Amino acid sequence: MKNTTFRTEVHEQLERIGQADIIVGIPSFNNARTIGHVVRAVQGGLAKYFPDHKAVIVNSDGGSSDGTSDVVHNSSIDDFNAILLHHRVSPVSKIVFPYSGIPGKGSAFRTIFEIAEVLVAKACAVVDSDLRSITPEWIELLLKPVLVGGYDYVSPLYHRHKFDGTITNSIVYPLTRALYGRRVRQPIGGDFGFSGSLAQYYLTKDVWQTDVARFGIDIWMTTTAIANGFKVTQSFLGAKIHDAKDPGADLSSMLYQVVSATFELMETYSGVWMPIRGTEPVPAFGFEYTVGLEPVNVNTARMLNTFREGLRNLGEIWLDILGAGDFSEVERLGALPDSEFHFPIGLWAQVVYDFALAFHKKILPAEHLIKSMTPLYVGKTASFILEAKDMGQTEADAEIEKLCLEFEKRKDYLVSNWK
Amino acid sequence: MENFINLILEPLKELFLKFKVFVPNLLAMLVILFIGILLALIIKRVLMRFLAAINFDSWSDRMGFTKIMRKGDMWNKPSSTLGLIVFWLLIVLTLMSGLNALQIPAIDQLVSQFFSYIPRFFSAAMILIVGYLFSGFISRAVLITAANSGFHYAKLLAEAVHTLLIVLILAMIMEQLQIAPSIVLAAFSIIFGGIVIALAIAFGVGGIDAARRIIEKEAMTKREDETKDEIEHI
Repeated sequence: MKNTTFRTEVHEQLERIGQADIIVGIPSFNNARTIGHVVRAVQGGLAKYFPDHKAVIVNSDGGSSDGTSDVVHNSSIDDFNAILLHHRVSPVSKIVFPYSGIPGKGSAFRTIFEIAEVLVAKACAVVDSDLRSITPEWIELLLKPVLVGGYDYVSPLYHRHKFDGTITNSIVYPLTRALYGRRVRQPIGGDFGFSGSLAQYYLTKDVWQTDVARFGIDIWMTTTAIANGFKVTQSFLGAKIHDAKDPGADLSSMLYQVVSATFELMETYSGVWMPIRGTEPVPAFGFEYTVGLEPVNVNTARMLNTFREGLRNLGEIWLDILGAGDFSEVERLGALPDSEFHFPIGLWAQVVYDFALAFHKKILPAEHLIKSMTPLYVGKTASFILEAKDMGQTEADAEIEKLCLEFEKRKDYLVSNWK
Repeated sequence: MENFINLILEPLKELFLKFKVFVPNLLAMLVILFIGILLALIIKRVLMRFLAAINFDSWSDRMGFTKIMRKGDMWNKPSSTLGLIVFWLLIVLTLMSGLNALQIPAIDQLVSQFFSYIPRFFSAAMILIVGYLFSGFISRAVLITAANSGFHYAKLLAEAVHTLLIVLILAMIMEQLQIAPSIVLAAFSIIFGGIVIALAIAFGVGGIDAARRIIEKEAMTKREDETKDEIEHI
């Protein structure tokens, strides 16, 4: 079992299993409320779509105190006949254990990769443990492109409310797309499929004592797959509805985690993204359909107030990062009344590139730098909400496409200033 | 007569003997001074080249050192200033070593006092540098956190935190240098206590209206916040 050291009981379980075709990993931390549904959906998916494959469900837990592990142990589909005409004879094996290492989703994933390597898995999938909208079909859509289509990495495609996923829509997607030239719509989706060989490749990377182990694993997996030439595809999974997030979760911390991981990868793969110009689509699997989404309450007045307070208090920091030209544009926005507020997409692309350059040149400590971006991001989000409030989903998507093209158009600025 | 001549010659002989002993010491001092000054010049030049190679000036700009120097009417580059500081420190050390070579008891005592003071001086310098960087880091963190939560007086709060930390650091430095430690402690306690009392009085008595406005504004904001945002940012 190479250098991998598992707990004795896991070791024994793995020796008993010997080999598996499919691994489905579920990282968790205090998800007792929802993980039962996720485990049952995974079991249903494996039984329905991969009855002839030997499969293992791995719950890599971060030390939950709410009985998450017990729920995983006890969850199973009582009556397969309710969802299947024929079901597999042998039950799916379950491995449930607390992972070791730095606390975080990345460490949980690392253990899943290690188990995939030990069991010589052909295909793997990871799904979040707080999902409410997962169905057995997700398992087929994440695994089949790997098992049948020969793909190495399957990124999710979801239907989301036009105001949701704004960090993805206004920073991570346009930036990743412009940098690496591949249109992966949900690079930090959280639910992925990947080949056994890609899992082994991930393990060769020396990142498990860094922030990747804590919070940057999603963008790291996507970027590593794209930048190293693995075959990438997407699968349409439908709506993504998950358990309500911690209301105390701080937006600036969230922004820091996602953006710092993305900027860090720009350092690692600068040799890859610098020569790339233009983008190409990534093939997508699954039958796309529209879903009814619940309306989302937004207080744009408060968001614009946060932007203006940010401008008033963080102006000096922004001036150092953006330079006089872009900063004067931002200052002009601060004087606009709410009804006329509009954050131009060109200026936003420039702001993101300026912050990436400031991160590269280490103008400020990384956490201060990215957290100081929060009011700008809030202003941009408010502007999008004001513009898109009467738009349909297609029109809102078209706005995001325009933003992506703006990022692509201005890439020369980033490249020429990156020393 | 012979006795008389001896009486005159004896002090001269003694003086000559003392001078004979003193001359090598004087020469040693001159050699130490010459070598020390030469070394100080070489070290200054090497240090400045090294600082230029590691872009020390740009780093100082980013850390705000240049801004502080300009405020203090110092217009040299930070790298040349550091080079000059190191040069003069070496000159002082050379001078002290040179004076020590003279082996004059009064100067010896002065020199030993100087050298016993050096560790205190360096720890004070370390407190100054680390304290300055730390206070800048903390006040910027306060500024960003307060601004991100939409607090109107974020800058004021950050500046207050910065000033308090600088006062604390200066008190620590003075205490380290043993400059009137009891007065420093008393002054610090009085100033710190005074600030707290002044704030309490200003807010409680002088600023009743302002306090009411702020509290009302906060309450209003809270009422507005009842329309919670339901955006999922990721």
